[in-house]
Amino acid sequence: MAVCIAVIAKENYPLYIRSIPAEQELKFHYTVHTSLDVVDEKVSAMGKALVDQRELYLGLLYPTEDYKVSLLSRLGIPCVKSMFPNQLHRYGYVTNSKVKFVMVVDSSNTALRDNEIRSMFRKLHNSYTDVMCNPFYNPGDRIHSRAFDNMVTSMMVQVC
Amino acid sequence: MRDLHRGSRPDCATPGFRSVRPEARRVPPPVGTLGSRRGGDWLLGTSGSTMSVPDYMQCAEDHQTLLVVVQPVGIVSEENFFRIYKRISSVSQINVRDSQRVLYIRYRHHYPPENNEWGDFQTHRKVVGLITVTDCFSAKDWPQTFEKFHVQKEIYGSTLYDSRLFVFGLQGEIAEQPRTDVAFYPNYDECESVEKRIEDFIESLFIVLESKRLDRATDKSGDKIPLLCVPFEKKDFVGLDTDSRHYKKRCQGRMRKHVGDLCLQAGMLQDSLVHYHMSVELLRSVNDFLWLGAALEGLCSASVIYHYPGGTGGKAGARRPQGSSLPADTGNRHRPGALTTNGINADTSTEIGRAKNCLSPEDIIDKYKEAISYYSKYKNAGVIELEACVKAVRVLAIQKRSMEASEFLQNAVYINLRQLSEEEKIQRYSILSELYELIGFHRKSAFFKRVAAMQCVAPSIAEPGWRACYKLLLETLPGYSLSLDPKDFNKGTHRGWAAVQMRLLHELVYASRRMGNPALSVRHLSFLLQTMLDFLSDQEKKDVTQSLESYTSKCPGTMELLSLPDGLNLPPVPFTKLPIVRRVKLLNLPASLRPQKMKSLLGQNMSAKSPFIYSPIIAHNRGEERSKKIDFQWVQGDVCEVQLMVYNPMPFELRVENMGLLTSGVEFESLPAALSLPAESGLYPVTLVGVPRSTGQISINGYHTTVFGVFSDCLLDSLPGIKTNGSTVEVIPALPRLQISTSLPRSARTLQPSSGDEISTNVSVQLYNGETQQLDIKLENIGTEPLEKLEVTSKILTTKEKLYGDFLSWKLEETLAQFPLQPGKTATFTVNIKVKLDFSCQENLLQDFNDDGISVSGLPLSSPFRQVVKPRVDSKPVNPSESSKAGDFSHVKTLEAILNFKYSGGPGHIDGYYRNLSLGIHVEAEPSVFFTRVSTLPATSTRQCHLLLDVFNSTEHELTISAKNNEELILHAGECQRMAIQVDKFNFESFPESPAERTQFTNPKQLEEERQEARGLEINSKLDIHWNIPSLKRHGEASVEGILNQLVLEHLQLAPLQWDVLVDGQLCDCDVVADCRVGDPIPLEVRLTNWSKRNVGPFALTVIPYQDYQNGVHNYELQDAITFVGSNTFYIDSVRPTENSVCLGALLFLYTGDFYLNIKFHEDTTSKELPLSWFCLPSVHIRAQGPDLQA
Repeated sequence: MAVCIAVIAKENYPLYIRSIPAEQELKFHYTVHTSLDVVDEKVSAMGKALVDQRELYLGLLYPTEDYKVSLLSRLGIPCVKSMFPNQLHRYGYVTNSKVKFVMVVDSSNTALRDNEIRSMFRKLHNSYTDVMCNPFYNPGDRIHSRAFDNMVTSMMVQVC
Repeated sequence: MRDLHRGSRPDCATPGFRSVRPEARRVPPPVGTLGSRRGGDWLLGTSGSTMSVPDYMQCAEDHQTLLVVVQPVGIVSEENFFRIYKRISSVSQINVRDSQRVLYIRYRHHYPPENNEWGDFQTHRKVVGLITVTDCFSAKDWPQTFEKFHVQKEIYGSTLYDSRLFVFGLQGEIAEQPRTDVAFYPNYDECESVEKRIEDFIESLFIVLESKRLDRATDKSGDKIPLLCVPFEKKDFVGLDTDSRHYKKRCQGRMRKHVGDLCLQAGMLQDSLVHYHMSVELLRSVNDFLWLGAALEGLCSASVIYHYPGGTGGKAGARRPQGSSLPADTGNRHRPGALTTNGINADTSTEIGRAKNCLSPEDIIDKYKEAISYYSKYKNAGVIELEACVKAVRVLAIQKRSMEASEFLQNAVYINLRQLSEEEKIQRYSILSELYELIGFHRKSAFFKRVAAMQCVAPSIAEPGWRACYKLLLETLPGYSLSLDPKDFNKGTHRGWAAVQMRLLHELVYASRRMGNPALSVRHLSFLLQTMLDFLSDQEKKDVTQSLESYTSKCPGTMELLSLPDGLNLPPVPFTKLPIVRRVKLLNLPASLRPQKMKSLLGQNMSAKSPFIYSPIIAHNRGEERSKKIDFQWVQGDVCEVQLMVYNPMPFELRVENMGLLTSGVEFESLPAALSLPAESGLYPVTLVGVPRSTGQISINGYHTTVFGVFSDCLLDSLPGIKTNGSTVEVIPALPRLQISTSLPRSARTLQPSSGDEISTNVSVQLYNGETQQLDIKLENIGTEPLEKLEVTSKILTTKEKLYGDFLSWKLEETLAQFPLQPGKTATFTVNIKVKLDFSCQENLLQDFNDDGISVSGLPLSSPFRQVVKPRVDSKPVNPSESSKAGDFSHVKTLEAILNFKYSGGPGHIDGYYRNLSLGIHVEAEPSVFFTRVSTLPATSTRQCHLLLDVFNSTEHELTISAKNNEELILHAGECQRMAIQVDKFNFESFPESPAERTQFTNPKQLEEERQEARGLEINSKLDIHWNIPSLKRHGEASVEGILNQLVLEHLQLAPLQWDVLVDGQLCDCDVVADCRVGDPIPLEVRLTNWSKRNVGPFALTVIPYQDYQNGVHNYELQDAITFVGSNTFYIDSVRPTENSVCLGALLFLYTGDFYLNIKFHEDTTSKELPLSWFCLPSVHIRAQGPDLQA
């Protein structure tokens, strides 16, 4: 079950980010943002070798540490909490044009098999390709596509 | 690593002390990391003394250092202490006498004694030296001070090799005593020998170390090797069988490891490697995991020291100045891979051993992993594990193996030590952040830094460190790729992690506010608003602006660079998006103030740069030039305007205050404006004004605003997507300003702008056709410069109407007499407006009247009374069509003219500029009278004729009309009457026609028109027709110029053949009655003068006498009453131009009576080509009287 799906541009800024408990969106922003370090590292580690037959799937990026950090809570009292309520695993996928997909998966109840993650990414990639085929879409803009939204939504509720 | 760990079970885990973790020490195992072992619940350790303070700064090469604690005793000022501490710590490595070995010292001014207790486990944790620094000013205090030193020694007493006391301030007897453990210095400035003392001290440490090493290393075969323990193990071994082989092996292994440590510290890398290897073998066999880990770590450390002489801690470079102070050291060190190239070392055995024992870089990491996995089995070894992780990460960072390093770090994150104090937490997060930074994980680093920042102000902290929090937050900026320079956001739409960045900015604002630096919070909040505007929701925009306003009420935002103490500069944030400026346009001055260049004789507009009139290359360059520079000028001292098209992106009304221009080049007085833009307005024009105070090139660089209490200077260069028509304009010297006011009311309507003239003032007046109005214009100099020159020109806007006479006329001389006009002074100027339009009525009407064309054209050889005309005129008013025609009569015609005042003065005049002020004059010409028809009647005299004018009063008032000396004719509204004016015929030919005129109108038609016009003028001046409306007290003239047609003109013209009839030598004309006596012959003379340009004749004339009975009957039967002497027929030969011909005859009247003579041409002789009017002979009236009876 994906709880957050993000599409990151080549220049590492988000093209699309969607998370399932909408209130925690900011948390997922942080989560995805920090995962980029690993994505970058993995992508550069792949290097130039085998550009063509490269494996797009990056695998597990991080088992997450779930920090809840907020300074501006209601009463102006900052609080820092470190909690591990559930296991959120982050998986990455990078297209040949260096567009990255990051998926945060809640694996506390079910352990998803690698193949399932792979197929989810493949679906995401196809859908992203469709978005790019839209002549009215400017590459580099945020993605506002209903079809893409629907696909992401389906992936988020899929296994629930 | 997994293998080892699966099958292994620590032998010390006896039921007695084996403790099951009450709660999971760490999180469940994250997949695929070092943490996989965490599932095990057989972690060892008791609640014994635990090393709890991790040193996050540790690195692998610290294993070879000797730990020396430097501490103040008594009251020593911090400043003085650290001065000495700094000097002491500069002696961090010593080349030991007579050997190539190097000793490294690690100084600490604070070291927890419980960490010291782990000194046997890893000797670099052992405090071996103590240096105390103290102030002592009198000998009296000395014993006390010395006592304190001893107390201090006690703390680390068990491990100390040696100690020193540095006493400052004490002089005299005590200080004289030579003591090895105490050094006396008079003060902190005079202590040159400190370094030397330290070197001596270190050498003494070395001696102890060396002896210990030799002692431990040699008694391999000794019967009883003591068991070295870590503090928490001590009670676990109580009652254990010390004689078992297992136990002995354990003792041996631990001792080997210890010796390895000592060798490493003593600078014997090779020996230490050997010892470590042996130790690993021994300990592995007895499953002594904690010490096995330590031995492995020792192996790693030694290998790291060998492979990376530059150090892994980052700060190592400063610690280890290679080759400069210790030239011998360099020879002894090897870079990885340079192993075989070094043949200098005589001891080949060590070389071989080195290659064999030393771990490869990959092995180092594997061994670290293994060591850490062993450590992790012991709860109490958390600090050791953590530090090992940190050390491994540093090594990996050097090896650039970020992914593996991140795994180590990930593991370190999960190591939960005891409940950490807040300060420790901050330290922990900061160091994590630093390490992530080290391995290039900037985002992760920023994340932990932020966590650390939050930790600084955690609610549990009594005094939140907002300053530290702020500082840490600032350090996270690069990780979130956020710069605080708004310039970086000018390139198109912002692309980044807006949500995250916004949160960070919010936190910066909050922290800086709590820190008590409102200027900073205003700056950050401005930055947030400016750069993240596109990402803020409407509600957020409201919130942010509200808080910004509340902050700025205390501390207004400025345009100054804010410098933070740590050297970071916060550039100013101009609100270029509040409002957004889309277009900047410099406006020309209003037409009346626009300066114009006097045309000099040299064509100035010609490009002086090129000899070519046109070249495409130059034209291109010019185009570029023009795009920057504007082709109009501003005038010094006159308000000039710049128009901005602005847009308010906010969902509420935006108040922009103090909006003005930023300029350069010219002294400029900006007049700021305040404006209020409605919510999400469209493009909204705003005009900013200012007054240039000097001359030259002025550049409009930008504008400044105050929005929400923040001052912004927005430069146009940095605005994206702005349209401008150029920003540089020339300011010319001051010119006077003329203001005109007139006696006539201003007109609301403007003239049709023709030919680009812009009219500042319009006056309008209503006039009757033919009326003249005087327009008084008051000229006032409202500028600051004297008005020296004035030129007035007029221009009549093209109308369809034909205008007769001068529409506008004036005399400038009187006005110019009052010049130069000083500022504030006025002068007057008078213009006469004369409206003289066509007085004929509309063509259709005219035609209607003239359809009996004969009345005008068919002429009057016959009778002066033309009966046909009369009924026509009478019938006209009753004609029903008349009423509809009346509309046409009252048609108001519009005349427009522009009066241009070109004026100049002051410095601008010297530079050749002038100004042009235009006064629009709008005249509504109402018709006064119309001449509906014109015709002529021959007068009794052939030299005269009657001009008959049908005059129609089209006004609504009673009107009188008079001509020349005729009496007035009263016309009621809408009445039409005939008016007869007797006029002398005109001899048009005699008008002077200058040869110039003739050539001017080459076109014969034009020439003819011109002539006709001249004739009309002549006739009109003779006629001098005036109308007067008594009720309105208005009067004017009426002109017939427009209505005279060719036929009428011909009739008014003197015939070129001048016929004179003389009776008795007396010239006879219409009303002249020639008297004669009956019976006497009277001579009759007919004279023809030819004024035409050709020959005329021959003609035959017959004189026919007749009597008029005044009843319409003419009696021609007069043969009995009159006799001709000679023939009654005259023949005239052809007459050449300007010549004349005379025919003589005589008449004899036989009876008295009134007789008329009719002189007739013989039809056949009259040349057909000559017009009839040329043969117009006067009729002769002769009264024959009887002889004078009295005579």
